[in-house]
Amino acid sequence: MPVVVIASSKGGAGKSTTAIVLGTELAHKGVPVTMLDCDPNHSLSIWAGKGRLPAGIRALSDVTESSIVKTIKQYDADGGVVIVDLEGVASRMVSRAISQADLVLIPMRATILDATIGAQSLQLIAEEEEAIDRKIAHAVVFTMTRAIRSKQQTGIEASLREGGIEIIAPPLMERAAFSALFEYGGDLHTMENKQGNQAAAIENAEAFAMAVYKRLTEALQ
Amino acid sequence: MTDFKVDLSSLRRQPKPASEQAIAKADAAGEAHGFVDRAPRGRPGRKKSDRTGQVHAKVLPHVSEEIANEATRRGVVQGVIIEEAWEFYKSSKL
Repeated sequence: MPVVVIASSKGGAGKSTTAIVLGTELAHKGVPVTMLDCDPNHSLSIWAGKGRLPAGIRALSDVTESSIVKTIKQYDADGGVVIVDLEGVASRMVSRAISQADLVLIPMRATILDATIGAQSLQLIAEEEEAIDRKIAHAVVFTMTRAIRSKQQTGIEASLREGGIEIIAPPLMERAAFSALFEYGGDLHTMENKQGNQAAAIENAEAFAMAVYKRLTEALQ
Repeated sequence: MTDFKVDLSSLRRQPKPASEQAIAKADAAGEAHGFVDRAPRGRPGRKKSDRTGQVHAKVLPHVSEEIANEATRRGVVQGVIIEEAWEFYKSSKL
């Protein structure tokens, strides 16, 4: 399965939300998804433990620095996607996971702090590309954005684009339904307790997953 | 709702270097940017002893001194000497 690694060494950037929204939307469209929880906080496992795991999704926890490459290899086969949810620290596990990625997503909120720390991951990818002599597709994902775009977000986006960094569009907006995934588990489509504008959240999630899928398939060509 | 369709045949596995050398190169690239080994080391200190039983024995001073010296010489706790003595006692009664 092609491997999508969600990486940012900053906590609270939206890595696990990005992983779950992407994984559940791909699975909803019939893609077999294996999700690896590499975060000691076990955010992904908390989600997986609530409610029923959506069809087509397998969630594995307790992946460690020493087992991550082997585990990714074990599930890296044709016809599905492996999503790796990493810990929010600068660790060797992050660099190892990136070395096995077909696409790295770097979630960041539209703040200078997130962008500054997210830049570390971008530098790491560039360094690894050189070290292992392989192009590693990557893109930034803005998370928890508001309907009215802030000046900071506009500035950060412009700066990233100037540096040749791709940005996944649309961003993942701040939606109550996304947060509620950790309360009820499952996916946005089967969530019984509708949260805020659920339809808008689903539309956002689908459009986001489609954009990532397109970027991933481009990277695989 | 978006018109989002996937083609599973497009999701093909790509070969990626995963040899020890390739991983070492990735590790080195990471370390240069502060992405270092942060794997948990486990609990610090000596492993908790399995010897949780206790005997309440008063012995003559020279016996206690000899037991202590022997345990120190062998680098074991005094309980080991008592355990061996007990095993010897049991086997001698057979």
